[in-house]
Amino acid sequence: MKKILILPILILFILASCEKVVDIDLPSTAPKLIIDASFEVMFNKNPIIANTTVKLRLSADYFEENIPVVTNASVFITNLANGNVIDFSDTDLDGDYEPTTSFIPEDNSVYELTVIYENETYVGRATKIKSTTLTNVTQGESTLFSGNETELELNFIDDGNQDNYYLFDFTKNNFFTLEDRFFNGSNYNFSFFYLEDEIELPSNVTVKMSGISKEYFTYFRILVRQSGQGGGGPFQPVPTSLLGNIVNTTNDANFPLGYFHISETDTFSLDLVDKTK
Amino acid sequence: MLLLQDKIGKMKIYLNPFFLLFILLFSLNIYSQEKITLSGTVYDKNSNETLIGVTIYLPEVGSGTMTNEYGFYSITVPKGNYKVQVSYLGYSTILQTLDLSSKTTKDYKLVEESESLEEVIIETNVEKLNVRTPQMSVNSLSASTIKQIPVVLGEADVLKSLILLPGVTSAGEGASGFNVRGGAADQNLILLDESIVFNSSHLFGFFSIFNPDVIKDVKLFKGGIPARYGGRLSSVLDIYQKEGNSKEFKLTGGIGLVSSRLLAEGPIEKEKSSFLIGGRASYAHLFLPLFDIDNTAYFFDLNSKINYRFNKNNNLFLSTYFGKDLIRIDDSFSNNYGNTVINLRWNHLFSDKLFSNLTVIYSDYFYGLNVDAAGFEWNSGIGNFNLKYDFKHYLNNKFKLGYGINNIHSSFNPGKIKPNTTDSGIIERQLTKKYANEFAAYIEAEHKISNKLTLQYGLRFSNFLRLGQNELNVYQNNQPVIYNEQFKKYESAVATSTDSFQRSDVIKSFNNLEPRFSFSYLLNENSSLKASYNRMAQYLHLLSNTSSPTPLDVWTPSGKYIKPQLLDQYAAGYFTSIKDGDYSLETEIFYKDIQNRIDYINGGNLIANNEIETIILNGKARAYGLEVLFKKNSGNFTGWLSYTLSRSEQLTPGRTPIEPGINNGDWYSTAYDKTHDVSINTTYELNEKWKFNSNLIFQTGQPTNYPVGQYEVQGLNVPLYDDNRRNADRLPAYHRLDISATFTPSRNKNRKWKGEWVFGIYNIYGRDNAASLAFSQNQDTFKNEAIQTSIFGIVPSVTYNFKF
Repeated sequence: MKKILILPILILFILASCEKVVDIDLPSTAPKLIIDASFEVMFNKNPIIANTTVKLRLSADYFEENIPVVTNASVFITNLANGNVIDFSDTDLDGDYEPTTSFIPEDNSVYELTVIYENETYVGRATKIKSTTLTNVTQGESTLFSGNETELELNFIDDGNQDNYYLFDFTKNNFFTLEDRFFNGSNYNFSFFYLEDEIELPSNVTVKMSGISKEYFTYFRILVRQSGQGGGGPFQPVPTSLLGNIVNTTNDANFPLGYFHISETDTFSLDLVDKTK
Repeated sequence: MLLLQDKIGKMKIYLNPFFLLFILLFSLNIYSQEKITLSGTVYDKNSNETLIGVTIYLPEVGSGTMTNEYGFYSITVPKGNYKVQVSYLGYSTILQTLDLSSKTTKDYKLVEESESLEEVIIETNVEKLNVRTPQMSVNSLSASTIKQIPVVLGEADVLKSLILLPGVTSAGEGASGFNVRGGAADQNLILLDESIVFNSSHLFGFFSIFNPDVIKDVKLFKGGIPARYGGRLSSVLDIYQKEGNSKEFKLTGGIGLVSSRLLAEGPIEKEKSSFLIGGRASYAHLFLPLFDIDNTAYFFDLNSKINYRFNKNNNLFLSTYFGKDLIRIDDSFSNNYGNTVINLRWNHLFSDKLFSNLTVIYSDYFYGLNVDAAGFEWNSGIGNFNLKYDFKHYLNNKFKLGYGINNIHSSFNPGKIKPNTTDSGIIERQLTKKYANEFAAYIEAEHKISNKLTLQYGLRFSNFLRLGQNELNVYQNNQPVIYNEQFKKYESAVATSTDSFQRSDVIKSFNNLEPRFSFSYLLNENSSLKASYNRMAQYLHLLSNTSSPTPLDVWTPSGKYIKPQLLDQYAAGYFTSIKDGDYSLETEIFYKDIQNRIDYINGGNLIANNEIETIILNGKARAYGLEVLFKKNSGNFTGWLSYTLSRSEQLTPGRTPIEPGINNGDWYSTAYDKTHDVSINTTYELNEKWKFNSNLIFQTGQPTNYPVGQYEVQGLNVPLYDDNRRNADRLPAYHRLDISATFTPSRNKNRKWKGEWVFGIYNIYGRDNAASLAFSQNQDTFKNEAIQTSIFGIVPSVTYNFKF
């Protein structure tokens, strides 16, 4: 919804503004550990599979072209319900840690992620968040400002028994967060638009829908906005540091960034055609 | 109880000087000799429009008065023969001798200087009187000045002109609202014919809502704000519109690149009643279909007024304002917003010394959104009923008294969502509406103690009641915001229960005494020292966490969780007029202290938030600075230099020692802090045909936030920001030069149709001024970039104005 609300402002900028890349000296800070652990359980697949990669990186100066990877950490996950420990390793030294034994997060279990890096211990906890399935995704006919956008119409049935928060991944760094505050329990549909330069038609896309926690929803909403994918411009709120749910238990002040989250995820693939031809 | 005692204690301190002054005042009245009152109304001779701020000066007694907002004046002097001088900027002065032996009513009709057949040059004391009056910190502009100042796309604009004067800035090109002396945009009281206007801009701030043809008088009070005004902290923008020509039918208009305007006015019953209808609309959108663009963005304003002069003592005015912006993108999205104001005023003279005005106002602001892509429509707004009764008591030539009451009942709709298609999954929902009542009573005096010392003092009492609403959340420990010590961040609390109220219940009540005081002390005939103090209370807050307000920001009243904003402002200044008013110099320093200025927790979502209290942190603000205004007032070459050096800061401390607050509990710059602000405006009248005008502006860049690093999460490249350096960086400095030329064809003189061309070039040297800096990754090269957005390059314009 955010993306849509920004649009009227965009129009005016298209009418009157000009953008240019400028050189600026930016401040710098000591590198921070980034723990990016968003697990997805593809609950609608048979057999059920899960994406359980823990990505460890360091933050870098803003104009630095390479983001350093962390390959020498020890990573494991503990199922606090039964005490089972799953070890993770980075065999190809790319900073992406995979479980050494196949691992599908269970319902209602609290998992604790532990990362030990340079003698400091980082800990975060997560429980799998339920999702629902995408009933249908189709290509629509509507457009936005330029007239060359591609519309996706999505449809799903929200669970009316609880507050739900969703994260949609339309690929190509197009994320969209949604809460069911105004459609709790209904058969909901909405449209997403790819801008002209974001997609080349015809194309096959896979849309992901994940159930996420309220906290992760808040986190991701700001993440998308601050990454510049949500519009940008003078009407943006003051940008802030984005603290996640992982703490440094050894040195409180050296807090990490990133998030540990486990979601149920449904995917939907479709072929998009060029309707202008 | 303790709190109450504390309050009473404070009241005593505030009241003491006033009691003393009242005693002084009544003792002055005891030895009065026989006095005569001269009163009346001053009009423009051609249009019969009343004139505001005309000086009526009696040189023999060395004192005078000014006409009020309805053209009325009254002065009481000992019996005798007096010279009376009636002068007004841009009009020929009337000088006559009156034998005041009994009560005299005298109306004056002034002739515009440019229209008078022969120049009757009389040395005017206009500037000298400005030096004398204790009112300070006022920026005023005449409608004709506003029309000459070059502006973007040639659209004459009150707000854009005001920001050329000291102490006033805007958040930038294409930003709504304005900031006065380091105050926030929601701290300006904007009055249009005494009605509160909530949204002052069209098209997200590109144009202000005030039609320049309809404006009669504009005053911006930045400090020393008289007690008759209240409800906002930083400033009062008091705009009066014309009442309409009651002598003959007139058409005025202008054709510009973006919008055109037309104003029709005329008598209904000659010199008794008149009407005025003014419209303005943009039409750039009409051309969009030519480029096969199926989108639209336009605005319009409609001003209409009728007034009726029953007799000398009774006048009735009905006026309405209706303005709207509409933006539509294809069929997937539309957006409209605007103000509606309806206003009925009755002027009544109880005696030649007692003027009264009763006003009833309905005012509302509406914001609507239709998003087909998500299957919903949304609307929000604020509406209020306002009743005012104001009295002006012209007791004698040394003492004027004003008093009155004001009651505003407001209802706030934070938002309502509705499905707009049959297959939409959206469920209709109304966010909890809020209600409030604000009452105020005031008394103010202008008191001439001696030939050198004049005082202006007053006291305003305000009472704010937050009235019952359907649901009010209750939180554990009364804390809607909690600090998560583990994750080091503020989080919204979840309500433990809700209270429900009757509409007549009072959830929370606030009372404030707001003393106002200023004085002027004449150093010599041409210069004076002035100083002022004012306390203001503001009970409404505009929820906005962007660097400039947007039309979808909503207003929220103070209540159980949000306290009223309170301000103390101190200002002092030196005013001098040089060479008999050919030049003038005004310098002022000010210091402002604001309590209960809100800020928001990181990541707080303001849009459609029904529990807004769960993202609000309470803090304070301060601003201080120096203002200089040097003017050349006469000759072919006129203009001004304005300079402001100031600082505007905010502090949001943690509530307990473990909480960091915002910016680690240290002072941080507000989004509208500008250290240096210089503008030079010049006008050169070459001959009767050609007039040239220019603006040169330089400002320190606005505060912004640079990232201190970058990282990646889920494939997204994210700039890393440091919470301990909020608003610590600056956009590049802002500067530009604008010029305009006004051409008046000479054949105008004897024709009824009078036209003029205004040619302008905005930003003539094409400076790319940064409206914002955005940091994001280029999706083609995957390199991080700092992208500067500039709004206006070189913008030429042409406007044709006419009168018929």
